Amino acid sequence: MNAPFFKFGLFGDNVSLIVAFLIGIGFGFFLERAGFGSARKLTAQFYLTDLTVFKVMFTAIITAMLGLFYLGWMGLVDLSLVYLTPTHLVPQIVGGFLLGAGFVVGGYCPGTACVAASTGKMDALINLLGIILGIVVFGELFPWVEGFYYATPMGQVTLPQLLNLSYGLVVFLVALMAIGAFAGATWVEKRMAARKGGQPS
Amino acid sequence: MKLSLARLTATQKSGLAVALLGLVAAFAGSPYRGPVYTVDAQELARVVETTVDHVTAEDVADWIIQGRTDFRLIDLRTEGEFAEYHIPGAERVPLTALAGYGLQKNETIVIYSDGGIHSAQAWFLLTTQGYKGATMLFGGLEAWKDNVLFPRPAENPTPAQSVQFAKMKEVSKFFGGTPQMDSTAAVTAPSFTMPKLETPQGGAAARGTSPVKKKKEGC
Repeated sequence: MNAPFFKFGLFGDNVSLIVAFLIGIGFGFFLERAGFGSARKLTAQFYLTDLTVFKVMFTAIITAMLGLFYLGWMGLVDLSLVYLTPTHLVPQIVGGFLLGAGFVVGGYCPGTACVAASTGKMDALINLLGIILGIVVFGELFPWVEGFYYATPMGQVTLPQLLNLSYGLVVFLVALMAIGAFAGATWVEKRMAARKGGQPS
Repeated sequence: MKLSLARLTATQKSGLAVALLGLVAAFAGSPYRGPVYTVDAQELARVVETTVDHVTAEDVADWIIQGRTDFRLIDLRTEGEFAEYHIPGAERVPLTALAGYGLQKNETIVIYSDGGIHSAQAWFLLTTQGYKGATMLFGGLEAWKDNVLFPRPAENPTPAQSVQFAKMKEVSKFFGGTPQMDSTAAVTAPSFTMPKLETPQGGAAARGTSPVKKKKEGC
């Protein structure tokens, strides 16, 4: 988040660490307040009873997308400076499933494990230990998985380039998709609440 | 049925705003800036004054030894000069081919030539085109030879200078150079033979072949 300012020497290492610390604390605080420090709340999305996490992630994506589009359009942000993680399709799909499986089993994703651990939850602390162990194991095994890790490279692509549509049209389509997903998620939540025997809220 | 904004919930209002912003975006045109660049002279002067526009030969040597892959090393000299010797991991790009070479605007780009003039000109060209991570190798290849390949002790070294020289001797050997024991030797003396072009082990040999690893961001 502070990368552009840091990278171009507007402030140094120390200030950058302070900025990162403040942003991190703020991010963690609001995650905790939103209930993301509870494994019950997080895993409820896999039982389709509470899709808050899904909605929050979609909201974040939409906010960032609209913000970047309009700031770029007004000339306040140079979009060519925004770093894009290169796409390696197959390894990233496999990685996504791996993270999802860990999420279902452990009840936390890496960020929310830190949030929950900060409130002293034992399961989150164990989860963090598992994450650290996983990082070490992956690091040690990297020479053997490197070929797969870099397989199916597509470079730094964006949806407009991939679909050959204008940037604005993709923004519109993603906005529509988000609204649909939001409405769909709310409908699913009501259905599940009704099936549980309670009244639809 | 009357459709009134006041009767909508906050979520529905947000949804409506998203739909409207999305619809406008579809007709707003590209958010990317065109190929016209404006030069902020004051900003450039500030960057030059705070010396963030260059790195020293010692720094680049350190980066290569550490195996860092998050920077590009660009050699502006001729093909013949490049074939004779270049800093390990460097890519040869003529000044005229720089703009279309496929450098990223947000990556660290270290430019060097023999001295400092060509790299300074290339730095200006790149910077005005929005390559915010462009830097120059301070003193060019001459400084690389003087400080990295053939370092020499100061005439009356302070303890700090002695420690620094001891370190540079190791760095010099890593790059196949020859540390000088005589503080007054001229760079033309026969003991200055350029190292053969072999990339040091553990250095940036892999650069360019494997994708650059960057910090990942996630939830």
